[in-house]
Order: sequence, then C-alpha cells, then structure tokens
Amino acid sequence: MPTIRQFAFTIACCAALLGLSSGITRAGDGQTPKEKELIALLRSDAAPADKAVTCKHLAVYGSVDAVPDLAKLLPNEQLSSWARIALEAIPGPEAEEALRRGSETLEGRLLVGTLNSIGVRRDALAVDLLTGRLADKDAEVASAAAVALGRVGNDGASKALRAALATSEGKTRSAVAEGLVLVAERRQSEGKGAEAAEIYDEVRKADVPKQRKIEATRGAILSRNDEGIPLLLELLASEDKAMFQLALGTIREFPGNTVDKSLAAEIAKATPERGALLIGAMADRRATVDLTAIQAATGTGPKAVRLAALAALRRVGNDGSLASLLEIALDADAELAQTAKEALAELQGDKINSAIVTLLANAKGKTHPLLLDLVAQRRIAAIDEVLKAVDNSDKAVRTAALTALGAIVDLEKLPVLIGQVVKPKFEEDLAAAQLALKTACVRMPDREACATQLATALESVPAATKTMLLETLAAVGGTKALETVGTAARSKDATMQDVASRLLGKGMTDDAAPVLLDLTKTAPGEKYQLRALRGYIRIANQFVLPIDQRMEMCRTAYAASKQPAEKKLVLEIVKRYPTLDGMKLAISASESADVKEEAKGAALVIAQKIGGKVPEIRDLLAKIDIPKVNLEIVKATYGGGATQKDVTEIVQKAATDLPMVTLANSSFNTAFGGDPIPGTAKQLKIQYKINGKSGEASFAEDALIILPMPK
Amino acid sequence: MSIKGKPIHRRGFLKTALSAGAAAIAAPTIIPSSALGLDGNVAPSERVILGGIGIGNRGTYDLGCFLDQKDVQFAAVCDVKEARRIGVKKIADGRYGNDNCAMYRDFRELLDRSDIDAVLIATGPNWHATAAMAAAKAGKDMYCEKPCTKNIEQSLILKDTMKRTGRVFQAGTQRRNLPHFAFACELARTGKLGKLTKVYAHPAGMQAMTSGWLLPETEPNKEVVDWDMYLGPAAWRPFNAKLLDGFNFEKGGGLVGGGVLEWGSHCVDLCQWAVGDCLPPVEYNAPKDGQLVAKYENGTELIFRETGWIPLGSCPVRFEGENGWVEAGDSGKIVLSSPALLAGRKVAEIENYPATFHVRDFLDCVKTRSQPKGNAEAACNAHIACHAANVALYLNRQVKFDNVKNEFVGDAEANRLRSEALREPWRL
Repeated sequence: MPTIRQFAFTIACCAALLGLSSGITRAGDGQTPKEKELIALLRSDAAPADKAVTCKHLAVYGSVDAVPDLAKLLPNEQLSSWARIALEAIPGPEAEEALRRGSETLEGRLLVGTLNSIGVRRDALAVDLLTGRLADKDAEVASAAAVALGRVGNDGASKALRAALATSEGKTRSAVAEGLVLVAERRQSEGKGAEAAEIYDEVRKADVPKQRKIEATRGAILSRNDEGIPLLLELLASEDKAMFQLALGTIREFPGNTVDKSLAAEIAKATPERGALLIGAMADRRATVDLTAIQAATGTGPKAVRLAALAALRRVGNDGSLASLLEIALDADAELAQTAKEALAELQGDKINSAIVTLLANAKGKTHPLLLDLVAQRRIAAIDEVLKAVDNSDKAVRTAALTALGAIVDLEKLPVLIGQVVKPKFEEDLAAAQLALKTACVRMPDREACATQLATALESVPAATKTMLLETLAAVGGTKALETVGTAARSKDATMQDVASRLLGKGMTDDAAPVLLDLTKTAPGEKYQLRALRGYIRIANQFVLPIDQRMEMCRTAYAASKQPAEKKLVLEIVKRYPTLDGMKLAISASESADVKEEAKGAALVIAQKIGGKVPEIRDLLAKIDIPKVNLEIVKATYGGGATQKDVTEIVQKAATDLPMVTLANSSFNTAFGGDPIPGTAKQLKIQYKINGKSGEASFAEDALIILPMPK
Repeated sequence: MSIKGKPIHRRGFLKTALSAGAAAIAAPTIIPSSALGLDGNVAPSERVILGGIGIGNRGTYDLGCFLDQKDVQFAAVCDVKEARRIGVKKIADGRYGNDNCAMYRDFRELLDRSDIDAVLIATGPNWHATAAMAAAKAGKDMYCEKPCTKNIEQSLILKDTMKRTGRVFQAGTQRRNLPHFAFACELARTGKLGKLTKVYAHPAGMQAMTSGWLLPETEPNKEVVDWDMYLGPAAWRPFNAKLLDGFNFEKGGGLVGGGVLEWGSHCVDLCQWAVGDCLPPVEYNAPKDGQLVAKYENGTELIFRETGWIPLGSCPVRFEGENGWVEAGDSGKIVLSSPALLAGRKVAEIENYPATFHVRDFLDCVKTRSQPKGNAEAACNAHIACHAANVALYLNRQVKFDNVKNEFVGDAEANRLRSEALREPWRL
C-alpha cells in the first residue's frame, strides 16, 4: 500500500505538471529522457499510486515507446483504468493493437473497459474481435462490444450489428440497437440518408426497449427529410404520450418549410392540451412558422389553444397581428387579455409603433390606457399624445399617461414631469407621478443637468416630497446630486438629515467618499457623523480602489474613529488588502488598548500573506507582543517535485511558544542545510498543533513562517 | 483629506423592488400555465415523477425547489451514502405525509423504473456526465448540476446524446433564469452595448492540476458508503474519507478544473449567453497578470479575471461593447455604463441566486419539449470554453481550438487533454 513518501511523490508529480517548467518532454519527440524516466517508473516496484499518476503523464507526453509497459497494466484491477487513460490518448496503431491484444486475455469488467477504449479509438481493425464478443455470455461484455462497434461505424460494424439485432437478447439487444443508431447517425452525416433510414427502421421495428425505439423513430423521421412528415404526423396523433412528446421535440429539429403547413392542419385535430403544445412547437420554428394558422387560433376555439397562440404571437407575431391582439387585450377574460397585452408589448414589426401612435390620437374608453401602456412598454416617442393624456378626466388614462411619460420623457420635457410631482393637478396622481419621475431620472444620459432640475425643485416642495426627490437624486448620482444630498444631510431638518445620510451611506459609487468624510465632522449630531464614518469605511472596504487610495482612506478613517467598533472595521480592511502601509497602521493600532488584540491579529495575518515578499514586515512584526501558544511541530518537509527533505527536527528546534517559526537563517536553503532541488520552486510543509488543535500549512521558499490558528 | 486616483464611474445603479412582479421574474414561457395544468390542482397524469441521484448539500437545495412545484412528485432517491438516502427519504416522505420514497444505492435501478420521468443529478462533478448520459439512454429528462462534464469530448457527447435521445437537459446554471443576469446578457446579445468587444468571467481560483491518490483508509461497508459506485467513472484509488466530499474529489486522475470550471460553468456560461450562445472561443492564451484572455472567432475577447470587479457579489460578469458596458453579480444588482441602457425597464433584483425559476423552466420544457435555458448545446459550448482555458492554464501557453473539427490546431499535447478514459465498466 502507498506510504507517506509515495503519496508525497504523487502530489509532487501533480505540482510538477502545473507549470511544466521543468523540462517535460513534448509529445512527438520520441522517447526523451523524461519519458524514459516515466517508463522506468512503470517498470520499477514503485507503489501503485506513483504508477497511476505516471500513466496520466504518459497520456500527455508518452509515445509508442510507452505502450508495451502501459499494456502490461491492463489486467491490473487498480491500474487498468489509469493505463487506459494513456492508451486512449497516445496516437498511433500501437496503442490500438495493445488494446486489442489486451482484450484477448481479459474478462469481466476489465474486458468491458478495454472494449470501451477500443470503441473510443474507433479502431476499424477491431471489428472482427468486437463481432466475436457480441455473442459473449457476459451481457456486459457483449453490450460493450455492440456500442464499440457502433462507434467504429464502418460497413463491417454495421453488418455485424444488423445481424445481431435479430439474434441477441435482452440487454445486449438494447446495446446493439444503441450501436446501430450510432451507425445510422454516421451514415446520415455522410449523406447516405437512405441507408440511415433503413437502419433506423430496423431498430424501431425490433423488439427493443422503448427508448431505443424513440431514438430510432426520431432518426427515421429526420433522415427522410420531407418524406418523414407522415411518420411525424403519425406520432402527433399517437395515443402514446412518449411518442407524442418525441414528435414535439422532432418538430423543432425538422429541416425545411414544407412541414409547417402540415403541422398547421393538425391544430384542429388535436385535443386542446395537445393543440396548445403543438402551437408552442410550431412557434419555435421561427424562420418558417405558419403564422396564419397561429393567428387564426387566437380568435376561436378552446381557451388553452387560444392562450398558446397568443403566447406564440409574442415571439413570432408581426404587423398583421396588431389589430386582433388589441381586441383580445380588452377581452372580458382576464387571462386572455393579459396574454394578449404581453404579446403586444413585445410584438415585432416595422409599422407597429407608428400604428399605435395613430390609434392614440383618437383613442377612447379602455383602448386609451391600453395604448398608453403600450407606449410605455415599447418606449414609443409619442410625447405630444402622452402629454395631452396627462390632463384627461379619466384617472386610468392619466395614470397610464404618467407611466408612459416616465418611460419616454427626455431632459427637455422633464420639467413637465417634475411639475406633476411638485404641484400635481390631481392629488390622487401624485404616487404615479413620483414613480414616473424616478423612472425617468435614472435613465437620463446627462445626470448633472437632471440633478440640477431636481435640486431646484427640492427647494419648493413639502417634506414628504423632499424625501422622494432626495432618493431620486441619490439614484441619479453624480457631482450635483451628491452635493445636494450632502447639503440636505447638514440641514437643520431632522428628517432630511436622516434620509440624506442614509442614502449617502448606501451609495454604490466611491465618489461619495469625500462627502461622507466631510459629514464625519460637519453632520449635525454624533449619530449622523458616525453613520457617515461607517459609510466612508464601507467604501474603503468594498470598492475597487487604487492601493494607495484605499490605505489613505483607512488611515483617515482610523484617525476619525472614536469607538473601537469602527477601528476594528478598519483593521478588517487592512487584513483583507494586506500592504506594508496596512501593517504599519496595525502596528500603530496595537498600542491602542481598545483594539490591541485585533490589531495584533491583523498584523499577523498581513505578515503571513506578504511577509515573504516585503522585507520590512519582519522588522515591524518584532514590534508587537504576539500572544503565546503551546506549539508542537509534528512534521515538516521541504522540497519540490518528487524531492522532499525531512526538516522536522530543524523546525522543531526553531519553534517557540509563538504561532510562528523563526529559522536560524531567513534563507530556507541555508537553514535546512542546502538546496534539495536546485532550479525548482520549493515549498515548506508543516504539520503542527497549536494548543492541542492540529493544523497544516505550506510556505513558499523563504516566506515568513506564521502558522494559522487551527479551526 | 484628498482622495487620490481617478474615481470609478459606476452609474445607474439599479434598484428595483421585487414587487416588479413574479411575471417579470419568470422566464418567458411558450405555453401559458393553464395549458400546462398549473392553474389548479395537478392531475396525477400531468405530474412529473422525479428521482434524485446523489442528493447531498446542493442536491437537497435543488430538491427543495422541485418539491415546491405542485406538478412534481418525488418518488425515489439514489445515493451511495446510506445517511443521505435516509435523509432525503425523510424530507420527501415528510412533505407528502407517506412512506413512499424508494431508496437505491445503484442509480441504474432507479433509472430502470418506467414510472420515473425525470431525474435530478446532483452527484459530485465526477459523475455528472456519465450519469446524465445513462439517464438519457434510459429515457429520462434531467436537471444536472454543474460542472456537467470533465473534458471537451464529454461536452460534445453530452450535446449529441441529448439530441439523439430526444431528452430535455437542463444544466444547473440557474443564473440563466434570473432577471438581472438575463437583462445584462440581453443588452450584450441584442447590440444595445454596441459591437461587443470584451466579456469578463470570474473564475475564482485560476489553476489547473492533476489529481492522485490519498492514503488508504479502511473501506466502509458497501451499504454505508459504496466506494466503488462513488468512484464510478473515475480512475481507481483506495478509499479515503476526505474524498467523499465532492469538491475534494478531483475527478478521476485527470485534469482538474479548479475555479475555471467550477465557477466558469456559471460565469463563462453567462458570457456565452451574452455572445449569443455562439461556438466557444478559438484562441486561449497563457494567464498573465491574473487574467486569461480567450478570443472568439469574431474577435470578441472572453477574459477570465480574478480581480477588478465592482462589488456585486459572487459570480460577477461584465460585458463591454463599443457603446457601453454592464456588470452583474449574485447580489441581484446590475451596474450600467449609462442609465439610458435601462430604457425605462424595471429589472427585478433577486439575490442569492435561487434555482426556483430554473427548475420551473426545466419542468415546463419537460412538458412542452422545448429547450430550457441551460440546454445541452449551450452547456456544451460553455463547458468547452472552460475546458480549453484549463488546457491553456495546464500547458501554460496559448492553444487554438477548431470548432469545426473540435480539436486543438496542430497541438498534440492539447489534443491529448480533450478526453480521458473512464474506469470500467462505465462508458458514455
């Protein structure tokens, strides 16, 4: 069984493959020294673990020279699958011959695996061998042979499988059918549709499991092109649910446009449920769909069919669908009406928008809000018609008009919408106007101009509306908006202070940072100063910022923090983004009694993350008093690739009562008595216990050895 | 105090209440719910009978999403671990108030049941493709957790098998059914950002490696943990309890995906959606300065990068065009280069990337036989992009991929990493 050393070799092999920087053989160069080493390992008494990974190496870098030694592993229960990884991958007839020969003496699962590999390689020379195995008394073996023949797919394989379809039984026959479907598929791709259809027919008419019949029937339809339509229609009428479902799937794949008319004729013959599903399948044939039939189905017939037809028009309808959809959108049946409205919102066609605007000019009754809804949903530039409707006596029309205004208004007409919020003509329209304004403002390309309009309006509205305008400004963002919200946060109005400081603290742009920083000093009251500080810290923590900027924000935030909670948040940031400046901040903070332990913890984490790369970290670390622990070094190895040196004793001697190890020399090579493997990246791996809890850590060459606290 | 550096302009942070409505959240369905029998009590004949394969932590979450759907009947669980079998049965029976959930150790027995329509596959990644292919050949539709495949060849076979067998396949890429990601992808796909120049994915751990054996430990009783079935298609190795965690189990002795595959199967998948689910990139460069740059045939770059993201939660993606950009993440939020891109639309913010809508999309497609958002072809292309990037990482150099021949161009080493033999007796 594998030992620790052997396991280490395995891991080393994995690591060595990562960068491929150590002179790995390139495929096609023949037997290079690397391949020789790998083959030598296969021939040695190395542990199975080592041989296994060697097989994988040979899959990428092995040549025909490795084939004989790989073939010897085929009867090995543990390594057969590993050997086949290489034998399936190595090019050339030698690997195929090895698999064929291997199959002669194997049985059971190992034989099945080898036959599977022969199939993957589509080895034409294996047809006789595989044909012989079709009669194997082990059904698993016979089935593997059948599928492998299907993958080989030449005339010999086809002949053998067609013969076996009649003679084989049970599970094997199913596999033979599976193989034949693969053969037929290949014939079809080779342009031999007639031969493919013949094979498919043989399979679908044979006594094989239903799923095999489904596969063959699908193939029988598609391989015949238009001549397959009758069979497709037969399935559509089938009592068998599975066959009906197969028809629905096959409709979506069927080539050409002849079939669409045939399908249209089937709608009326089907049950409502099936008719609905058929329409869905027809609409998935967007390029050739018979739109007339679908449109006709929207107006009459069972509701399920009408709904399906309406939903189909949403995707495939055109200019000609508009009138009927508008009519149904006002139907008394809410479900039909809603489905029609959804279709109208997305209906494609060059003239639809202009037709809606034309209709809007003389719209009356329920049609009026419906058309305005469509203006909003389709974002039709019909500002004049919409503005007229804003003053309509019907509330439903006004509400729809305001919604439309929110969707289409531009900067020039924005004051109209602001006016509806500041001084609504009808008080009951206020909510709709506010929502429309927000919708409009967040999509304005010139946010500064938009914010200026809102800021002006802010001066003359009641308190409740002020809140809404501030929220809108925050959503708009930009210099003017930030400035306005910041001013509100400093105002004398408690509600404005609360709303504005909350909005600034939750913003999604880092340009709020200066405003927040200013508020940490100028906001009226400690509560809002603290909220501003937290918002500022949030930006330092969450946003993509240049390193210097983030650290400067951390220093500023730490200096502004009066309570330990905020100081701790800052220390979390310097831990998350470890830098020398962050280390300095943590060291400085370790002198503060209220965050002493958190600061030391942050310093240790920073040192562990970047200590090996930044020499000053080592000196800074010496300045803090690290908490003592009970440290036990269990095992330590140092090296690279397969070469690992046991350095347990050296590390044990260097261990103290701190969660770190300081070696006699900062150079690992010197401390451990020499470079164990020159020219290769090395790692120090330590298994240890801190206060009785086990941990394991790896360190790059010459890194600071700070041991994480085990969980 | 002054703040140095150029401020980053992230305009148009969009905050829209969930009240935007479930209708806006749900994926557009082809057939109204009433036609699918979802508007009232669901007749037994219209229920999707579901089985679960490998239901651990993630699987239990997925299962909860399925159990919340009134047209689902969960009938059986398979797991190689006894404790999990019993735990899942308890959940299902508790929900239905009966003792009907059957338990299996070997998923083939579950697949042999003709009453089961669909399966949830939430094994470790080692099993995903092999179990999915077996399910398809047994006539089951499936919701399969990601990453769905172990290599390029498996991705291609997955796509072909689902087509051949006529099965509905939904990869566990649930972000395709979340409105903010969908909107971001739509902006990119429909030209609203102008000609697309760069799409960014967050791999969260950009490394490729091979896996080996751990030290052998005493193998448990097969009924408790069936080690042979747990290994499944992975090359053999001795039992070690550490490997029982799917994420520790490094996929069969071959190339291991790392973050590029684990997270790429989500965020690269979204990038693929953004570029219109076209064929994967044709060129993948060695990583440099924390970025791996791949290029599509049309010159658009797919960039895997570890840092530089707006803090929008995990799985961030960013799409840049000549006229604008959009960034989105798991917080449910999106950030746009210009609010004009929003064009007045409301985009529901749903955080914590729930799979509910993705599960619903799958179930609808089981009934309509349409293609769900995470269909096999989309999953194939996204996974190939991840695998090919991993090959570039592994070889630490540029590789070029031919999407017609489905092979690396003139590159024997890379081509040998396209596939990997499965342990006996498994095949795809």
